[in-house]
Amino acid sequence: MKPIEIVFYVLTGITLLSAITVVTARNPIHSVLALIATFFCLSGHYILMNAQFLAAVNIIVYAGAIMVLFLFTIMFLNLRREDEESKTNLTKMAAVVVGGILMVTMLLVFRAVQLPAVNEGNFDARTGLVEQLGIMLYSDYLLPFELASVLLLVAMVGAVMLGKREAGDRHF
Amino acid sequence: MLPIILLSVFGIVLLFMGFLKSKVLLLPATLVFILAALATTFMDWGKTYLYFQNMLLTNNLAILFTTIVLLSAFMVVALSNSFIEDEQAQPAEYYALLLFSLVGAIMMISFENLIMLFVGVEILSVAMYVLAGSDKHSPRSNEAALKYFLMGAFATGIMLFGIALLYGATGTFVVSGIKSYVYTNAYGVSLLLYMGIILLLIGMLFKVSAAPFHFWTPDVYDGTPGLFTAFMSTVVKTAGFAALFRVLSVSFVGVYSFWWGTLAALTCLTLLIGNVTAVYQTSFKRMMAYSSISHAGYLLIGLTALGTQTKQALVFYSLAYSLATISAFGVLLVVSRQRQDTNGVNENFDAFNGLARQNPLLGFVMAVSMLSLAGIPLTAGFWGKFMIFTTAADKGIYWILVFAVLMSTVGIYYYFRVIIAMYFREGAAEPVKVAPFYRYVLIAATILTLVLGLAPGLLEGLV
Amino acid sequence: MNASYLPSDYLPVLIQLGLALGFIITTMIVTHSIGPKRKSQKKDDPFECGIPVEGDARTPISIKYFLIAILFVLFDVEVIFLYPWAVNFKGLGVTGFIEMVLFMGLLLAGFYYIIRKGVLKWE
Repeated sequence: MKPIEIVFYVLTGITLLSAITVVTARNPIHSVLALIATFFCLSGHYILMNAQFLAAVNIIVYAGAIMVLFLFTIMFLNLRREDEESKTNLTKMAAVVVGGILMVTMLLVFRAVQLPAVNEGNFDARTGLVEQLGIMLYSDYLLPFELASVLLLVAMVGAVMLGKREAGDRHF
Repeated sequence: MLPIILLSVFGIVLLFMGFLKSKVLLLPATLVFILAALATTFMDWGKTYLYFQNMLLTNNLAILFTTIVLLSAFMVVALSNSFIEDEQAQPAEYYALLLFSLVGAIMMISFENLIMLFVGVEILSVAMYVLAGSDKHSPRSNEAALKYFLMGAFATGIMLFGIALLYGATGTFVVSGIKSYVYTNAYGVSLLLYMGIILLLIGMLFKVSAAPFHFWTPDVYDGTPGLFTAFMSTVVKTAGFAALFRVLSVSFVGVYSFWWGTLAALTCLTLLIGNVTAVYQTSFKRMMAYSSISHAGYLLIGLTALGTQTKQALVFYSLAYSLATISAFGVLLVVSRQRQDTNGVNENFDAFNGLARQNPLLGFVMAVSMLSLAGIPLTAGFWGKFMIFTTAADKGIYWILVFAVLMSTVGIYYYFRVIIAMYFREGAAEPVKVAPFYRYVLIAATILTLVLGLAPGLLEGLV
Repeated sequence: MNASYLPSDYLPVLIQLGLALGFIITTMIVTHSIGPKRKSQKKDDPFECGIPVEGDARTPISIKYFLIAILFVLFDVEVIFLYPWAVNFKGLGVTGFIEMVLFMGLLLAGFYYIIRKGVLKWE
């Protein structure tokens, strides 16, 4: 095995382990911590694929900001009660069937699909780096970029509209 | 292109107008802004333009869909005079969010790049999630916002995955680029393309509330404040179908045999669930939610039987549906507010009892809108259904036609329940009062419905 | 094939990361094992200004914190757009600058709105 394969398999193992912990942990805080570990592992995978920008963004936004939101949300909720289970067996069955079909279909497709071989002549290892990405973003994808600011503005206005407590409102 | 820029700027202007002491200016300003955007839309009439390196494509079809969306928004905003009196309301934010959501809707209508479709869907959806929960002190409104947000976020995620797979298969985000990929590889299309089509369709069908992705619709439409429900069921649906039409008719027309069967099955399921469940509702608003599902089904027939007549049928049907829906919700808003029962506003069928005698105008407006939704001749809805059914007949898919006609007879039953309540039931004695401007909007929508019903040829030849 | 810019370039970063983590873990283990240990019920009790402890630390907190956190996320997302722009600042020139000013203009309008709304004011 090449060293990069060893790195890949070790990283994959840790990723899967921490992702499973997210779902199975009883304590929600432990779930969140495991999720942070998962995000860092994913960033490692991005680096292995030479997608430097994605790796950085994943850590800045997901492991940083989104996780703060998760922790805050957990602290808002009163999670000591144990009576959350209310799904019927029928719902569970339907979910398993639908999810299973989707998974099987995707696995079959990804196994059967023929991806074109890498052309070593014009392969550019710098494709995923920040510099190339910036040039694309600020020339070809200028319009979606500018309109993303409208999206952020909508989210901002919405958060303020729904989240701001007026005088006399409860704070909890 | 210009309406997108204008509406973004106007949205910010409205946001800051909210800091003014007096709130009276907000409503007329919003109406003027929407009209200005509508006027600039027509600057590109008759020409096909590509903007910003294949990001947006405007043609007559896109302009007509934009017109329907802006017209619906104009009427919804015009019906919103009650915000000014409401202490809890934040009209500046509502109007700003509505204008921003129109930006998203226009992007969904005239995208040429799938990234634009995604950003447009997100802008429209995020604004709608917030407006669904805008009645902050009502648990039902909160529930609606949360349900819509959680499910909508998942649907957008699925759609984004589909777009990524399409990129993986074709190497391009451009709608016409995918088309040329499909044509050059007619016999060996990558399997990823099929997977991408399915996931993209799931995401989009969720947004237009087609079965089996409709489960959010009744609760969300029911809990959302009535005015925004009207906006949701017209603007979001029109934009969603415009987007679906563009991807299906341009990118994926080469693999029509792959997706038409699935879409036909979903169409029948949507028609069945929408119409049959609507029969059992006691709340008018919930009935309108299921009715909107069933109309998504009728529009889907047009896509299933994709042909030369499809775009005209879609435009006509969206317009007829939007007009009827907005006038129905307009009447519901007045009536439910003035006939409150112990649980607050009364949105059940019995709220309409005897309405035709106390206020003949409102009764007439409601009756025309119900007839149009049911597809009775002399209304726009009839010609909408007629054109949609013609596309299916042209394509030779007769079984879907028979099924749809059967389902529209079921539809007549629940739409006529309202008419019977208004004209043949005894109700409260006190008359229902309507503000003058409100009345003009309802009258205009009704007249348009009738004019289109009498002269359906008016829109012919535009696309 | 261009052999530069490969994942193996990150080896120094990996070594640095390993060293940093290793230092923390070693110090934690060592301090725990060489320090003296005295245990008593009074000493292990969580101390709260002499008041008897009630419940645990998981009490609901004010919604105000959450609003601040959401706004932080939004401006954090904006930073990721600044990052590739900053790397290409010279190459993009005046056009790039104007593009970014437009983008920031809209977001700063949002920021001004937030301040005028008094969201950041702490009662």
